[in-house]
Amino acid sequence: MSQILQPVFQTDQVASATASASLQVDGLSKCFKGTESAVFRDISFDIKEGQSVALIGANGAGKSTLLRCCVRLIEPDSGSIRLSGEDLSGKSGRALKKARNRVGFVFQKHGLVPRLSALTNVLHGNLAHDFGPRNWSQRLASQENRQRALECLDQVGLADLAYQRCDQLSGGQSQRVAIARALMQEPSILFADEPTASLDPQSGEVVMELFARLSQSRNLTLFFVSHHVEHALHYADRILGLRSKQLQLDSASHSQSTTSLREFYV
Amino acid sequence: MSEFTDSDPAAPILRSRFQRPSWLSSALFAFFIGFFLWSLAGAGMSLPSLIRGLPNMATIAGEMFPPATDRAQPILEAILVTFQMALVGTVIGVVLSVPMALLAARNTSPHPLVRYVTRSVISFVRTVPDLAWALFFVVSVGLGPFAGTLTIIVDTIGFCGRFFAEAFEEVDPGASEALDSIGSRPVDRIAVALIPGALPSLINTSLFSLEKAVRSSVVLGLVGAGGIGAELAVSMEMFRYDQAAFIIFAIFILVFIVEHFSSRMRERLLQQIR
Repeated sequence: MSQILQPVFQTDQVASATASASLQVDGLSKCFKGTESAVFRDISFDIKEGQSVALIGANGAGKSTLLRCCVRLIEPDSGSIRLSGEDLSGKSGRALKKARNRVGFVFQKHGLVPRLSALTNVLHGNLAHDFGPRNWSQRLASQENRQRALECLDQVGLADLAYQRCDQLSGGQSQRVAIARALMQEPSILFADEPTASLDPQSGEVVMELFARLSQSRNLTLFFVSHHVEHALHYADRILGLRSKQLQLDSASHSQSTTSLREFYV
Repeated sequence: MSEFTDSDPAAPILRSRFQRPSWLSSALFAFFIGFFLWSLAGAGMSLPSLIRGLPNMATIAGEMFPPATDRAQPILEAILVTFQMALVGTVIGVVLSVPMALLAARNTSPHPLVRYVTRSVISFVRTVPDLAWALFFVVSVGLGPFAGTLTIIVDTIGFCGRFFAEAFEEVDPGASEALDSIGSRPVDRIAVALIPGALPSLINTSLFSLEKAVRSSVVLGLVGAGGIGAELAVSMEMFRYDQAAFIIFAIFILVFIVEHFSSRMRERLLQQIR
C-alpha cells in the first residue's frame, strides 16, 4: 500500500535514464482554461530507449492529456520535454512538427480513412517525413515506398489485406493497420492512447501482443495508456500511475500486482 | 382495478391527449388563415379564368401534335449547346467550389473572419436567382452561351460551395487528427483525409448540380443567355406550338438522359474509389 501512495522511484532507472533517454519529462503541469484546478501538477519522469511503459489511472485522471502534452499536441502550462535528447519547449510550427515525425501515435480510434485501402492508409505514415501527391495514394507512390508500406503491413500480419478498403476491416484489423501506419514513420518512440479500449478482449490481446513484439524486435520505445491492469502488468516493463494530479507510482511492473494497481481505479 | 388511486402521490401523471392551445398559437393560426385567404386574391387565383382558359389550353395542346420536325437540326444543335453550357459551367463551378468550401468549413477555414466572409459570399450568390444572374451577365458580356455558362458557374458555386463545406465539416476528424499528430502538412491532410472522407457527398452534390444546371440552362435562353430557351420562346411567340412541342420533347429527353446517367455514375463511382 505504501508503495502506491508514495512514489517509488527505482534508482537504476533514474541513473541510466539520462544516458539513453527516449523521453524526458520534467515538472510538467497542465490546467485547462476555464477550470480552476490543474489536470496534473509537476510531473517528472524519464523513459529509456527500448523501454515499454504503461500509464494507468482512473477516468479523468489526465492520462490522455499527459500523453498528448509529452509531444505538445496539447500545450502544457509549464515544464520541459526532451524527445531523444531534443528539447521541445521552445519549438514552434514547423520545427515542432519535424520533432514529432519520429513519434508514432496510435489512438483509441484507429483514425484511418475508411474509403481508402489499407496500403494507402499505411503509406500516409510517410507524410511525417515527406509531403506531396506521391504520398496520397498507393497508386501515386514510388515503388520503394509501396514496398515499405507492404512490409509494415506484413509486420502487423495483414499483408494479404493490403488492397482491402479499411471500412471492410474489423476493429482489431483496423487498429493493426493504424500501427502499421505508425511503423511507416520509422518511429523511435510509439505512443498509444488506450489502443484496445474500443476492441473486444481477444482483439485487444492481439494488438497488445503486437506492440510487445514490435517493441522488442525494433527496440522501439513504447509509452501506452491503458485501463487494463493486466495489460500494464503483462506488456510493460514499467508502470506509471496517475492519481490526484500527481504521479503516485513509478515502478517496475514485476513488483506490482493486479490488486495493488486496482487502487488507482477507486 | 387500477393499482394507483388519485390520492396516491406515487401515481404517474398521464397528460390529457389534447391540450387547449395557448391564445398565442390560436392568434397565429387565425392570422395565417387570414393571410392565406388574402394571398389567394394576391396570387390571382381565379376559377372562372381557369375555366375560360381551358378551351385555349386544349387548342394549343391540339396544335402541338404532331410535333414539327422541320427545324430539327437547329433545335438539336441548340440542345447540344444547352448541355455544353451546363457541363462546362458545372465542372468549372465544382472546381471553384472546393477552395471556397475549404475556406467556409469550420474545420478547414484559416480564420473565423475568412469563414464568415466566404459563407456570406456563397449565401449571396445562392440567394440571387439564376435568371437575375443571367440578365446581369447578358448585359456584361453580351447575348449568347458565354453569359449562360457564367451564370451556371456562379449558380454552381452557390449550391456546391454550401454543400461541400457541410460535407467537409461532417467528415470524421479522426484521420485528420492522427495525421496532424505526426507533423503532416495541412494540404496533405486535406488531400488524403478530408477529401476522400467527403467524397461520396462531393460526388453526389456535383452530379445533382449537373442535373440542376441542365434544367436551369434550358430556361436561361429566355433572357438571351444562349441555349434552347431562345428557340422555345421564339416558337411560342410565333404561335408555332408544334415546333414548341418538339423542343419540349427534346428538353425532356436531355434531362432524362442526364438524370439517368448521373444516377448510374453515382453508383459506379462510389463503388470504385479506394
